[in-house]
Amino acid sequence: MRRIPVLLALVAFAPLLAVAATTGGRVRVEIKDPKGAPVADAVASLLPLDAPVQVSPPAEPVVVTQDREEFQPYVTAVVTGTRVAFPNRDKVQHHVFSLSKPKPFDLGLYRGDPKELVTFDQPGVVTLGCNIHDWMSAYVVVLATPHFAKTAADGLAPIGSLPPGNYRLEVWHPRLKTTVTRDLTVAADALTQVISVTLGIDRRIRRAPESGAAGYK
Amino acid sequence: MNLRPKTFGAKLLLLFVIVVAAAQLTTGIIVARANRAQARAGIDEQLARAARAFAQIVQDRNGLLVASATNAARDYQIKQLFVSEDTATLTSALPSLQLTSKADIVSALSLDGRTLASTMRARPAGDVLAQLIARAETDPSPFPTATGYAYIEDAFYSLAVAPMRAPDIIGWMAIGFRIDHAFAQALEAQTGVAVTFLNDTGHLLATTLPAATASALMSALSALPQLDELRSAAELPLAGETALLTVRRLPAGTNHFATLLLQYSLDEKLRPARRSERLLLWVTLGSIALAIVISRGFAQRLAQPIVALVGHTRRIAAGDYATRIGSDRDDELGRLAHAFDQMSDGLAERDRVRDLLDKNVSPEVAAQLLRDGAALGGEEREVTILFADLRGFTTLSEQLAPRDLLALLNRYLDRMSAAIERQGGVIDKFIGDAIMALFGAPLAQDDAADRALAAALAMERALADLNRELAAEGRPPLALGIGINTARVVAGNIGSHRRLNYSVIGDGVNVAARLQSLTRTPDYATSVITSAATLAALRAPEKISPRPLGPVHVKGRVEPVEIFAVG
Repeated sequence: MRRIPVLLALVAFAPLLAVAATTGGRVRVEIKDPKGAPVADAVASLLPLDAPVQVSPPAEPVVVTQDREEFQPYVTAVVTGTRVAFPNRDKVQHHVFSLSKPKPFDLGLYRGDPKELVTFDQPGVVTLGCNIHDWMSAYVVVLATPHFAKTAADGLAPIGSLPPGNYRLEVWHPRLKTTVTRDLTVAADALTQVISVTLGIDRRIRRAPESGAAGYK
Repeated sequence: MNLRPKTFGAKLLLLFVIVVAAAQLTTGIIVARANRAQARAGIDEQLARAARAFAQIVQDRNGLLVASATNAARDYQIKQLFVSEDTATLTSALPSLQLTSKADIVSALSLDGRTLASTMRARPAGDVLAQLIARAETDPSPFPTATGYAYIEDAFYSLAVAPMRAPDIIGWMAIGFRIDHAFAQALEAQTGVAVTFLNDTGHLLATTLPAATASALMSALSALPQLDELRSAAELPLAGETALLTVRRLPAGTNHFATLLLQYSLDEKLRPARRSERLLLWVTLGSIALAIVISRGFAQRLAQPIVALVGHTRRIAAGDYATRIGSDRDDELGRLAHAFDQMSDGLAERDRVRDLLDKNVSPEVAAQLLRDGAALGGEEREVTILFADLRGFTTLSEQLAPRDLLALLNRYLDRMSAAIERQGGVIDKFIGDAIMALFGAPLAQDDAADRALAAALAMERALADLNRELAAEGRPPLALGIGINTARVVAGNIGSHRRLNYSVIGDGVNVAARLQSLTRTPDYATSVITSAATLAALRAPEKISPRPLGPVHVKGRVEPVEIFAVG
């Protein structure tokens, strides 16, 4: 049992170690709100401006589950062409849909794994919903660049393996009205970009208290 | 013209009427003022409640419509129509929502406020929708809403916007109801106050007033310079009555608004109070009438004994001490009447005493007694004493019947007394047929001796007159003897403490009596004998021509007395 923290630490630092091994540049994006608090679930991406970029979707589908009547994870960033699976881990059925322009789809009501995977072939933000559970919402951010990261609870999004050159940094968050962009030049050394964002109102619907227990728990 | 009341009754009447009228008038004014203030406050409260009721009704209906719209927005197919902006299909779908939600208008709006579809061809005037959405976007709720007013085709609406979520907000539903006559009537039915809506050019949108009253209201309002917001009720003359008016401004977007007028007639509110005030007026008049009757009766009751007392006073002034008022009242007037009776008693008593004194003692003594009380006493002074005795009375008493005898005696004494009193003498006493009279007592007289001698001569003359009368009656004549002496004697009230006589005592008195006895002596041939002391005391001796009779020894006295015959 003693070893586990050490192992977890190694796993956590593995990408950093890998980046350090390569010759590419690194950008460490730090996203905060105006009060300086870290912002999680933001997606930072770097779009090369010097040359067109090639993206290759992963061979395996990315998974967005429905678990205890919530999407998991809340925000998923993928490159164009990525296939996403929406397995239902609940006993109840779900009706996953999107009415977003980059990828409208409608899986209908289902249990377990849906019949098909959804391929996100256009860049843009796709809002996911469940037609019968209004509070369930999630986002798939489809990017035309392989250089991206999602902020964790600490508000940090490190992006590595960057060929030196000019990039456009784009920051997206569910509660940002418009994407924050910033042009920057990546050299061999590490670069830290602190982005301050002002988030809009959190309009996520709170789940209704379970019937029969209302007010007594 | 002098209007001051003259009689006690009129004064009392005026006082009663003034007091009652003042009390009633004051009460009336206070009650009327209180009624008016209460009516005003009541209407103020009612109008304020009506304004709150209006706001509440609008809020409740907006809430219901928002709930309906939010439910409709959950429809997956509607969401799809929103996203695809299939306006034709949306337009065809919205009437179902209008029907189920009992809305007067339902519109589907894009995120930026464009109308995608609507149950009405016309759009809300101005920037109402954009404003509503902008306001809703500041609402932190998961289902942000905003409500407001809007003009659509000159009609006035309440509008609410509700979000369309998929699950992000992808558009808005606008839903509303018309504020029209039916609405105004419903509001009036609930609140009891007259409801009128005006548009921003001051024209009628809806009213519960009769047409005539409504047009009167419009013209009354046009006289007011500014009709924005009257939170507390203002008075407005309307159709011959006074209306209390409350005004609320209902903004419809940036440049438009409607005006809500809530009014209630002050006169109507005061009607029950006015009835009470009229009743109070009748009570006032009745009270004044009663006051008049009571005060008249009271004044008469009070004046009657006073008039009786006045009459009684006049009778007493006229010397009637016998009449008594005999009031049985137990108040001040009764006591006054009793005092009057006591006064009459006192006066009558004094009168009687005086009468008795006059008869029993000489008027001088009586006067002095009344003045100084029964304290005449014990002083030594020079007095001239006159004794007169009837001769042959014993013989006479054997001849006459007692009644005739007494009549004759009194006749004689009467004449003699008159002669004495005419000379200022005081009858001291009658001793049977004898008279004792004093000169110089109780009132001192300088010429007492002169008077005594003059009285003696007058008595002789009076007897001569009487004898002539007796002769004419066929009766024998009478004769008398008079003795006069002047001496220092003791004068005063003499007797027991129950009965006193003013008299004089002393040797001089005995001498006078003795001198009278001496007139019987035939040798002297005189009926009036006086002493040297009397002659010495004369002020005017020249009028008298005494005839000396020589010294005589008087019984009880050692020294002889020089005596003289007078007349």
